[in-house]
Amino acid sequence: MTHRIEVNVETGVTTQVEYTAEEQAAYDAAVAQQAAEQAAAEEAARLEAQPPAQG
Amino acid sequence: MTTTIDGSASVTINSGAILGITSGTAVASTSGTSIDFTSIPSWVKRITVMLIGVSTSTNVPNVSLQIGSGSVEATGYVGSSARITNTPAAAWDSVLTTMFQIGGLNVNTDTLSGTAILSLAGSNIWTLTGNTFRSSGTTPAINFFSGTKTTSGALDRLRITTTNGTDTFDAGSINILYE
Repeated sequence: MTHRIEVNVETGVTTQVEYTAEEQAAYDAAVAQQAAEQAAAEEAARLEAQPPAQG
Repeated sequence: MTTTIDGSASVTINSGAILGITSGTAVASTSGTSIDFTSIPSWVKRITVMLIGVSTSTNVPNVSLQIGSGSVEATGYVGSSARITNTPAAAWDSVLTTMFQIGGLNVNTDTLSGTAILSLAGSNIWTLTGNTFRSSGTTPAINFFSGTKTTSGALDRLRITTTNGTDTFDAGSINILYE
């Protein structure tokens, strides 16, 4: 599970807070969207780098 | 006249404020998508955030700072950041209203070190200024940033995260001073 680190400055206690199911779903969706955008950018760069077709 | 207070780590006045500078607890930024400092006292007027060798695991996002009252707030930020480096000589980050950007990482082996200072300018109005250094094999950089944000109530927390919100921290440590 994804988590955040939380430091309570009054007590000095540091805890690892696991994402709730809702937070995890939003996180997974954001990661998937970033991967899709990255793939699209790489594909666009690949097509742009191809030499023009002869003929 | 000289007044000496002996035998106490701090001095608290009637408002509950502690005179002098109080150090938070340093935390290793070696996991998680964000590092939150919570329960910051309401009398605080200045917070110094210190990053030492902070790094993220995968992408190359900007490290960011958010503040809030009761919860971390993701609107109303006014500010931006820029950097001086050797390639190119200078770069400008886009203006975001969702967070303060406090330094960009060029590749995932980069680390970020430096200081961000939040100052209370008025009724829940905070200003930000600071610099961080990005260590990078061929393109080290100095980041500088500034901005302002009005929290919905007395600031009681801040968050160090990344602009994409999905990267995880994998190195370094973070601490705050407050006064």
